[in-house]
Amino acid sequence: MTVIARRLGGHLARGLVMILVVTTISFVIIRNIPGDPLLARYEKLIEQGMSPEQAERATAVLYGFMPSGSLWEQYLDYMSGLFRLDLGQSVSMPGAQVTDVLASAAKWTVLPVLVGTLLSFLVGVTMGVYAAIRRSGKLGDVLAVSGSLLHGLPQYVLALLLSAIFTTLLPILSSGGTADIMVEPGFNAAYIGSLIEHATLPIATYALASYGGWILAMKSSVVTVLGDDFILAAELRGLRRGTVFRYVARNAILPLFTILALSLGLLFGGAIFIERIFNYPGLGLLLIDSITNRDYALMGGAFLLITVAIVIANIAADMLYTAIDPRVRSGEGGAA
Amino acid sequence: MTAPTIAAGGARATLRRNFWRGVWRVLRRKPSRMLGVAIMILFTLMGVLGPMLYPERLPRDDNALYGPPSWAHPFGTDFEGTDVLALVITGSRYVLLTGLVTAVITVALGTGIGLFAGFRRGRWDSVLMRITDMKLTIPGLPLLLVLSTVWKFSSPLAMGLVLGLLGWGGVARAVRAQTLSLRERGFIEAARGLGLSTPHIIGRELLPGMAPFIAMNMLIAVTGAVYAQVGLFFLGVLPFEANNWGVMLNLAVFGGGALTTTAALPYLLAPLLAILLLTLGIVLVVDAMDEIFNPRLREE
Amino acid sequence: MVMTSVKAPATSGRRAPGVRVSGLSVVYRTPAGELPAVSGVDLELVPGSITGVVGESGSGKSTLALSLLNAVQPPGRISAGSVEIDGLGDVVRLRGEELRKARGRHIGYVFQAAQNSLNPLKTVGKQLLDLGRSHDVADLRALVRDARDLLGRMGMDGARVLDSHQHELSGGMRQRVGIMLALVLNAHLVVLDEPTTALDMITQANILRIVREVHEERGLTTLVITHDLGVVAEIADRLAVMYGGRVVEQGPTRQVLGAPRHPYTQGLLRAIPRLVGDIDEARALPGRPPTLGTIPATGCVFRERCPLRAEICATAEPRAISLGESIVACHVAEAGAGPEGRTRQAAEARKAREEHT
Repeated sequence: MTVIARRLGGHLARGLVMILVVTTISFVIIRNIPGDPLLARYEKLIEQGMSPEQAERATAVLYGFMPSGSLWEQYLDYMSGLFRLDLGQSVSMPGAQVTDVLASAAKWTVLPVLVGTLLSFLVGVTMGVYAAIRRSGKLGDVLAVSGSLLHGLPQYVLALLLSAIFTTLLPILSSGGTADIMVEPGFNAAYIGSLIEHATLPIATYALASYGGWILAMKSSVVTVLGDDFILAAELRGLRRGTVFRYVARNAILPLFTILALSLGLLFGGAIFIERIFNYPGLGLLLIDSITNRDYALMGGAFLLITVAIVIANIAADMLYTAIDPRVRSGEGGAA
Repeated sequence: MTAPTIAAGGARATLRRNFWRGVWRVLRRKPSRMLGVAIMILFTLMGVLGPMLYPERLPRDDNALYGPPSWAHPFGTDFEGTDVLALVITGSRYVLLTGLVTAVITVALGTGIGLFAGFRRGRWDSVLMRITDMKLTIPGLPLLLVLSTVWKFSSPLAMGLVLGLLGWGGVARAVRAQTLSLRERGFIEAARGLGLSTPHIIGRELLPGMAPFIAMNMLIAVTGAVYAQVGLFFLGVLPFEANNWGVMLNLAVFGGGALTTTAALPYLLAPLLAILLLTLGIVLVVDAMDEIFNPRLREE
Repeated sequence: MVMTSVKAPATSGRRAPGVRVSGLSVVYRTPAGELPAVSGVDLELVPGSITGVVGESGSGKSTLALSLLNAVQPPGRISAGSVEIDGLGDVVRLRGEELRKARGRHIGYVFQAAQNSLNPLKTVGKQLLDLGRSHDVADLRALVRDARDLLGRMGMDGARVLDSHQHELSGGMRQRVGIMLALVLNAHLVVLDEPTTALDMITQANILRIVREVHEERGLTTLVITHDLGVVAEIADRLAVMYGGRVVEQGPTRQVLGAPRHPYTQGLLRAIPRLVGDIDEARALPGRPPTLGTIPATGCVFRERCPLRAEICATAEPRAISLGESIVACHVAEAGAGPEGRTRQAAEARKAREEHT
């Protein structure tokens, strides 16, 4: 099991470096935004009658670092705040801690992305097997072409089409927000029903956006495995069809776990479009709103959290891979 | 000295002729591929000539705001009464030019870095690949959004530059893998043994083998760039200085309420259709290229 | 050698089956139409014997081996002929469940060692259990015990091997695992496809010894496919030489190797370098073996490379005739044979003539 520990360690180290890079980018950008929001804030507070010290402290609370001092001091301030999980305060939502705002938004991104991925994984992998078995027939062609089309389409096009169809042309689903505001939140059927109704289109978009990738990857993987000697060997030993199928499926799914990481990364990024179009209050919408509201502390935080989500998804995908492939477990390498 | 050169030139010409014959055969096998090529030509013409067909300022018709589709306006009109089709056509130049710039930068950088890493191996390789991996994991779109707060992409060139600088990771990885696999087959050592120089090995021996692969990546990079920039304009984080399909989408959805009323629907669908059509064209052409260059399929 | 428990398997009631392949033809569908890979092959496997099939790559020997299990892979198919196996009937007619159950239980197939015939994600033991469940073995414990004994018989630590994944086993070990899986259900007809290719010399010798011993202990009918005449000389009782999808010569191994009648067999033998003697004596066969698309449609398939080529070879396909204990398909051999008794003289005279030129 030391192999797993070593791999996990490597991932964590890389994840930390990523987080460092991303936060540094945020910091550099915040410091370079035209019009210097920190200085503007500081001057505004002075105008309102604060003493310079008070104003400085108030600004620091907002952004996580002091506006005075050298760039290095500011950077170290910002980073140390990060390790105390203090990302400053939101400007657009006065008094709210950025971490709190992020925490409440995160679940509205993470849950739909995971549900959508799981759905598309199950359906896409099954269809991919079909596309591989029927690859010389019409059904295989249709599945493959639909797969490449869906795979090629950007998420916002899918989201817009779904939205146009199901909320405008055939208004059977409502969108906007996580649930109907008229419904009392709580553990009751009406609220949960409304939650599901509002989440349907975002989840469907996440699922459709990644479905194409699964079907294409699974198809080529199954075709490869079907040509492997051990499958013919299994048939010649008279194994049941179901058993042979399980051999094929398990070996074919293996390389898909590397794609799982990529796909999750793509979806977390794509959340920006999907949440904007369905007005769904997750991290992506938070990022856009923070940019339009010039709420830079919040922007840095949302960017960071999306990155963290991707790092975690990567680690999870790799751990799954390790759990399934004995070759990796015994330290023989294998694809990561 | 000249005779072998001529012979080689002749052989190359024959090869080229056979190649085009192969292309023609692959295209003919599935009519859909011809369609793909036709779509690509259509879009190229649209980007090059389209804007010349219309005046600098598109005419407005105040009597026909959000007009329904008609003969005069096949996709209706926008909130100012401007013909939507004209907007799509004039907007295509920014979109496609950005796509082209991005593709060139992506492929040039990706191929260069991938070749260098695969050719040199050792420390350079591992450093470059660490950087590439990192770039591949940083979420591109959020990064673009954050960047847009300090960088206004008003020209297609600037936009293409940024997208290209962000997008070379995948190509670099793939080219490196190809270089390494050629190396493993003793390709490079054999060329070295023949006394060929490094530029010759890279330019004459390695690159031609990878050219089809690189060409395919270029097409894929074009789609990626089109999506990314249209998406950025659609989100509304960039100033609406340029005429772009994304701007149309934004105005249709968040200005015209295309998602709540049907009046602005054609205005929304026109740029979407353009994107769909472009994607379809590229998917079909890539499918054809795959068969032309994939030796396993070619032998039939 | 400890061999007590293996020698008399609990279920042993069956005896070594005889196999009669007659008129077997296999074609492959290609863009250029259906091309024959095996044409009109007649071959008999005598119960309890080891038969070797020798040929260059592309001679159709592997296709023939797969035909014995009715397992020719698409785009190929058996287009004519029958494969009668004692106790099973005509395998070519078997379908679905019947065919599946015959594979593994009645006919064991051992893959080439270099090919990965094991699922890389499962331990050998788990794959053994899959095999047992697929064939409705009631007592899986006994199956595991049998497997362990078999592996032990072949000189391996059975318990450890059953607990290993494929990547933890060497080529020779994999090959023995393959033999175990082919025999553990007590199949009495075993097909070995290139059992020693890609193994080092010592492992090769080991595997051949094991094949021979297991064959005798369990009373099997064995078919060995190989391109290596040495392998056949070592273990086969009978030998069939294939060329261009046809069996050109077959008979008892000593007979065929000692007094080859077909010019192809003669050429093959001459191509082998000897340890003793002049290396220059080894002469490679000129030309190349035909591939699917280049097998001549009429006449003798070997004529392009044949030193004894006559006019008739281009037009008529040679019949298979009995010469002594051998069966040969060659116009020249047929013409030289004449009445019984002159055959050997004729062949020897021809050999002498060749050696002069």
